[in-house]
Amino acid sequence: MQELMLETWSGAINTVTIGATKEEGGTRSRAIKVGGQKTLPFLFPEGELPHKSVVAFEVWDTPPADWPKNLTDAYGDSLKDPLKWAEKCVKDFKAQLIALRLQGAHPDFGNKTPEQEAKLVAEVLKKVDVPLIILGCGDDAKDNIVLPACCEAAKGERCLIGSAVQDNYKTLVAAVLADGHNIIAESPIDINIAKQLNILISDMGLPLERIVVNPTIGALGYGLEYAYSIMERCRLAALAGDKTVASPFICFAGHEAWRAKESKATQEEFPEWGPESERGIIWETITATALLQSGADILVMRHPEAIAKVNKYIDNLTISSSVERRADRV
Amino acid sequence: MEKIKVTFYPENKTVVVAKDATILTAAISAGIYINSSCGGDGVCGRCKVIVKKGRVLTQLSGHINAEEKKQNIYLACVSEAQSDLEVEIPQQSRLNLEGLTQEEVSRRLKKDYTEPEDVERIDTGRKPGFKRRPFTRKFYLELPAPTLEDKLSDLDRLERKLNTQSGLAVSHTSLSSIKNLGELLRSSDWKVTVTVGKKNNTAEIILIEPGDTSGRNFGFVFDIGTTTVSGQLVDLTSGKILGTKATYNKQAAFGSDVITRIVYAKNGEGLQELYQAVADDMNEMIKSLVTEHHVDLNEVTCATCAGNTTMIHLLLRVDPTYIRREPYVPTLNFVPVLRASEVELRINPRGLLTCLPGVASYVGGDVTAGVISSGLDRQDELSVLIDIGTNGEIVIGNKEFLISCAASAGPAFEGSGVSNGMRASSGAIQRVSISAGSLESSYAVIGNTKPLGICGSGYIDLISEMLKAGILDKDGKVKELKNDLIRKNDNVREFIVVPKDKSGTGGPIVINEADIENLKRAKAAIYSALSILVKHMGFGFNDIKKIFIAGGFGTYLDMEKAISIGLLPDIDKRKFEFIGNSSLSGAREALLSEEASLKADEVARKMAYLELSVEPGYMDEYMAALFFPHTDLSLFPSVRK
Repeated sequence: MQELMLETWSGAINTVTIGATKEEGGTRSRAIKVGGQKTLPFLFPEGELPHKSVVAFEVWDTPPADWPKNLTDAYGDSLKDPLKWAEKCVKDFKAQLIALRLQGAHPDFGNKTPEQEAKLVAEVLKKVDVPLIILGCGDDAKDNIVLPACCEAAKGERCLIGSAVQDNYKTLVAAVLADGHNIIAESPIDINIAKQLNILISDMGLPLERIVVNPTIGALGYGLEYAYSIMERCRLAALAGDKTVASPFICFAGHEAWRAKESKATQEEFPEWGPESERGIIWETITATALLQSGADILVMRHPEAIAKVNKYIDNLTISSSVERRADRV
Repeated sequence: MEKIKVTFYPENKTVVVAKDATILTAAISAGIYINSSCGGDGVCGRCKVIVKKGRVLTQLSGHINAEEKKQNIYLACVSEAQSDLEVEIPQQSRLNLEGLTQEEVSRRLKKDYTEPEDVERIDTGRKPGFKRRPFTRKFYLELPAPTLEDKLSDLDRLERKLNTQSGLAVSHTSLSSIKNLGELLRSSDWKVTVTVGKKNNTAEIILIEPGDTSGRNFGFVFDIGTTTVSGQLVDLTSGKILGTKATYNKQAAFGSDVITRIVYAKNGEGLQELYQAVADDMNEMIKSLVTEHHVDLNEVTCATCAGNTTMIHLLLRVDPTYIRREPYVPTLNFVPVLRASEVELRINPRGLLTCLPGVASYVGGDVTAGVISSGLDRQDELSVLIDIGTNGEIVIGNKEFLISCAASAGPAFEGSGVSNGMRASSGAIQRVSISAGSLESSYAVIGNTKPLGICGSGYIDLISEMLKAGILDKDGKVKELKNDLIRKNDNVREFIVVPKDKSGTGGPIVINEADIENLKRAKAAIYSALSILVKHMGFGFNDIKKIFIAGGFGTYLDMEKAISIGLLPDIDKRKFEFIGNSSLSGAREALLSEEASLKADEVARKMAYLELSVEPGYMDEYMAALFFPHTDLSLFPSVRK
């Protein structure tokens, strides 16, 4: 057999640890590590890929108003209570990671106070024992008071908190730094801004090993290939030795996929598209698996069935490769 | 139509305008030039005036804050006169034509001093100067009077003598010179001075005067910039510079950039107004220089202009429309030799006008002039010329090849579009350092007066020092530090460079995050254009052996600081040379030397042009350069420390 041409890379993706166990000063049942790759996605023969990509279940502090019925049906009544919702994800769907979105803090969606949100974070941490991602509401001014309160409430749990953006990162970085968390650095599908933001954050003293990059993605049919090209360029630069772009990626596949008309539209509207009950799940699954191929380390998703499919996909890809690798050694 | 009287102070000048005319229009009618970078669109906020008496109808503007509203401050361009008005124009809103002292002008133009000096010495001995052979030359001729044996006609007689004395074969003489030739020759006892001009490869007798005036032959050179017009009076016989002046391009009243002006030219009498503005600038300069140096206008026989392509079109009243339309083709790059009177330049009415040839719509004769003046086209090794202006032009090459590109940098480095920005004239801060603990600035002001604002080189120093002192993050945002010099104004953070009590404007002199954003964009445009051009040719920065920096950067430019903010590439500082206004010095070379003029033609023909707007990597390079010093810190090892 002809020998494979292998690329040797000098760099590696930073390893970020999310969640702290008792031994580490937290209360999580386990910690999740992401990153650490020494080659491009799934190129097992070429270099180490020490950690599997993980999927986080998106949980909201307030019932989501714009989720289509076939998505809300999967969670039923639990959507009304974030604690039950989170518990359901972990117990029924075996969630490894929860992404708590504090949408209710937004002035237009409930305007919850920092104290209310901090209390919720503490309760969720008590209710479930998986590592936690905490996401702001998207209103900079509000996030700047809510997220620091939540950081404090989750002190010691080594959460992943987001998002820092180029025009608003200082407050969040300071809070994350003080309370020992990790940060999500979000950039608008732009490798330069992604890198600039990482430099700005690390200039404030937060190590690069505590940054996860949200490169911003588009769903299938909505710019997915553009997101792919940016993620690939980041990876190539990182593997070539640039530490400032060597962050693991978090991709909001569920958020983007469920905004697509193709996920939401009913069969009555587009008879030739088939039943929406399957279509939305497929749209989210395909978006997510394409992102895995692009290098996503953490996928934040919504539909439990889509998540199950993606988890299986991850397992399949990693199992077969370890078999191959074993075969290589023999 | 209802008429309204508008009186301007402190000039105390009154004009009558139609009701609903804007204060800006009234001011122009009164011959008072108010800053109006946006061309009267109400966008730039630079035309603030105080209405002391009378009613105006105005539009809401974010540029007028509550405090200013109370003081009856309005934007002149959107405020229409409703009754007789009394208007005061504050210093900051003026296009101050007399702002530059003679000393400042001379320092600012670096090598284009006002002190007379031999032209051969200009190039500091670095390279051979051009052989002197001015564009127009005077020859004193003593003709033999005709006899019955030598019955050659008067004109043939004159040309025969000229040919034997100078070797020139004249191919054209205008009828007006011939009409009275018989009388002239006889009354001057057959002793005359003939002025010969080179007009498109032919020699023309442009002037015949009685007696010997061959020692009195003068020419003008002009650099017509988008923002500044510079002019110089040169003695063509000795090659000496008699005087240099710079003034603001009055076209600025119609828009600060070339695109706005091209659009304006299409606007009714726009082209004529734009032409008139620059012609006035040039004629005012001619008038004051000839008066100061006791030169008779009749003795000024030619003028040479270098300017960007749009400026030359406007001077010639050629429609510039197609410069801004794809595929960006100008009406002309090579301008034939004209009579100066055709553009109403007030020199000898028979004098000639030449323009240095341009390369493309956005690389004009000013760049060609820069190349011949810097000697880029005669370098053995790879060299670069960067002309930092509103439109930043870059040329890379050596004696083998030349390629240029243009980057739209905006006027920030010329002090426009930034809150306390000003040009490098008296009162401008041009050098700054910030003390690490207190964050207090110490600065040097042009003319040693109280500071009025900050010029381009001042901004370079300031940003570099703010980064060093930890006031700025690498994105150009002002950090939240506990210091009275940092404050928030209208949700934008700013840094106080000069406190109120030390400033000459009555308020503090500040730099805010919006200013820094503009400066960041300007430096990113220049750096990324250079980077793309170098890469396009398959080189790296380290292959460059010499970089000439030209432009109106005041009297000084700190290369190290320009590197530290990412304006210039991080290479050995000894490779940089600041050459001041290279457009003006190149135009002078062309005026004084036929060889240089031919060289300019050759350079313009030889120079290739890279259109950045269609270069695929440019946007990415630009985004990467929008950081201090750069997103890729490995490109700036000396800054990284």
